[in-house]
Amino acid sequence: MTVAALGTSAVPRRSWRRLEITRLASLGFTLFGIAVLAYILGLLVVQSLPVWRHAGAGYLTGTEWYFRDQKFGILPMVYGTVAVSVIAIAIAGFLGVGTAIFAAEVLPRRWRLGLKLLIELLAGIPSVVYGILGMLLLRDWIYRALERWDVWSGDTLLTGGLVLGVMILPTVVTLADDALRGVPSAQRQAARALGLNRTETIVSVCLPQALPGLLAAVLLGLGRALGETIAVFMVIGRQDNQWPEKLLSLRPLVEPGQTLTTKLGGAETFIAHAEPLHWGAIVGLALVLLALVLGVTLAGALVGRLGDHA
Amino acid sequence: MSKRSLLSILVTLLLLSTAAAAEVLRINGSTTVNAVVVEAAEILRTKKGMQIEVDTQGGSTGGISALADGRVQIGMISRPVTDEDKTKYPKIQFHPIAIGEDAVAIIVSRDVWDGGVKALTRAQAQQIYESKVKNWKELGGPDQRIVFFNKEPGRGTWEVFVHWLYGDAKKAPSVSFPEVGANEEARTKVASTRGALSQLSSSWVDNKKTFALGIKGDQGQVVRPDPAHIADRSYPLSRTLSVVTNGEPQGAAKVMVDFLLSPEGQALVRKHGYLALADLHGKGKP
Repeated sequence: MTVAALGTSAVPRRSWRRLEITRLASLGFTLFGIAVLAYILGLLVVQSLPVWRHAGAGYLTGTEWYFRDQKFGILPMVYGTVAVSVIAIAIAGFLGVGTAIFAAEVLPRRWRLGLKLLIELLAGIPSVVYGILGMLLLRDWIYRALERWDVWSGDTLLTGGLVLGVMILPTVVTLADDALRGVPSAQRQAARALGLNRTETIVSVCLPQALPGLLAAVLLGLGRALGETIAVFMVIGRQDNQWPEKLLSLRPLVEPGQTLTTKLGGAETFIAHAEPLHWGAIVGLALVLLALVLGVTLAGALVGRLGDHA
Repeated sequence: MSKRSLLSILVTLLLLSTAAAAEVLRINGSTTVNAVVVEAAEILRTKKGMQIEVDTQGGSTGGISALADGRVQIGMISRPVTDEDKTKYPKIQFHPIAIGEDAVAIIVSRDVWDGGVKALTRAQAQQIYESKVKNWKELGGPDQRIVFFNKEPGRGTWEVFVHWLYGDAKKAPSVSFPEVGANEEARTKVASTRGALSQLSSSWVDNKKTFALGIKGDQGQVVRPDPAHIADRSYPLSRTLSVVTNGEPQGAAKVMVDFLLSPEGQALVRKHGYLALADLHGKGKP
C-alpha cells in the first residue's frame, strides 16, 4: 500500500517481495482454516450417511429416539436445545445489556475497568465448575421453588437454561459494552446540549445507535450457549423423547429433557461406536448442532457488520 | 547459536514427551471398579514412578470399546464380557480378570424408606420400569410419585439390573426416564429428590439419605444386599468386578493387574466396600 509512495527503486522491490510472502502466507492460513472446516463438515456428512438413508427427513422431524429399536428422531433434542438457549438468552440478554449500559454510560472510567475485569474473570471459570454448582445448589433451589407444581425433580430445562445464562453473561456484557462504547461521544454531547437528560440520552441516542452491536452480542452469546455441554449435562435430567404436547406451553420447561449436546456427551456416544447406523445417528446430531451454531454465528457477524456500516 | 540450541532443546523435549507418552498406562470403564483402580494407580505412581491415566467415560461398555479401539490397555467392567461384545469386536481377545464382587442395589430416598417401602419383588420392579406403577402408594409406601432415575445404557449397573428383570438386556423394553451416569450422580440425585429410585453399586449406599431395598422372593422372603448374601449369590443382583485386557496382560498392564490381585490390592477392594476374592472362596462360587 505504501510501496508506491516510497518511490526509490531498490527498496520497493524488497518490500514487494515481503508483501508477496505475507500475502501468500495469509492466503495459505485462510485456506487451511476453510479446509479444516470443510473437512469436518465432510466427515460429519459421510459418517452420518447411514442414518439419513435409514430415516431420511424423519431424522429431523421424528419425535422418538429408541436406539435399540433403531428409531432415531431428533426433534425433542432440538426442542431442548432451543428452549434452554432461549432461557439463557432471556437472562443473559437482559442482565448483560443492562450491565453493559451501566458500565459504558454510568460508571466512571476507573470503576469501569474493575467491573470489566470481574466480568471477564467470570468467563474464565471452567464450565464443569458451573455444572457442579448447578448440581449442588441450583437444582435444589429450583426443586423447592417449583414444589407446588409437582415437578419430577430439580433437573429441568429451566435449570439448564439458568446455568447457561450465567455462563454466557460475560460474552454478552463484553460485546454489548464494546457496542455502546462505539457510539461517538459527540452524539451524547449533542443530545445533552439539546436538553435530554442522561436516561433519555441512553434510551433515544445510545441504544438505537448501538442496536446492531447489541444484537450481535446476544447472537454470539447464543452461539456459545448452543455448543455448551458439560454444565447443562449435569442439571438437565437427560431424558429422551420429551416432545411437548403443546409447543408453547411452559410446563415442559420445568420437566427434564435432553439437548443435542447432552446427548452427544452421554453414554450412547460410547456404545454407538461399532454400529454404523447408531453411530451415524450420533454423528448426525453433531452435524445438526454445527449447522445451528454456524448459522447463529454468521447471523451475529452479519448483524454486527451492518452496524459498522451504518 | 542460541537459536539452534533452543531448537535442539525443543526437539529433545518433544522426543522425551513422546517417549514418555508411549509408556502411559491408560485405563477406562466402570465407575464402580474405578474407585479401586484409581487408588491402585496412585500407589503405583509413587512406588514405581509409573504413568497411569484412569477415566470412566461410558462406563463398562465404554471401557470395552476403548480397549477394542486400542485407546486403553485395560478396561474396567462391572458386568461380564458378553457375546455381543465378542461379535462386535471379533479381533479382540477379551481377557477378563476378576478382582472382586459387588451388588447392584435398588436405592430409594429417605421419604420412601421411612414411608415403609423396604423391599421390592422382581415383578414390582418390572412394573416400575415399564411405568405401570407410578406411585409408591401402590407398593405400600407414601402417597408420592415414583421418580425413577434410570442408569445410562451401557453402564454395568444398568446391564445387571435389566438382566435381572428381563433375562437379557436386549429384551428390555425401550423406556425414557431421566438418566444418571456415574455412581456419584445417582447417589446425589436420589438423596435430593422425594420419591426417588435408582440403581447403584451397593457399597455406595450411605444409609443416611439413600437406602438399599431388599429383594422379595416368591415365598415372601427378603434378601438384602449385605456381604453374606452377595458372597453366596442369594442376592440376585450380585456381579463380578473385573479388569479386562486384550490377550494376557503385559508390561505396565501386567504390573497393575498383579497389584490388584496382591494382598495390598485386595485390601483396596475391601476398603471400598466390595468383597475381595478371598471372601468368596468356598461359598459356591467358581
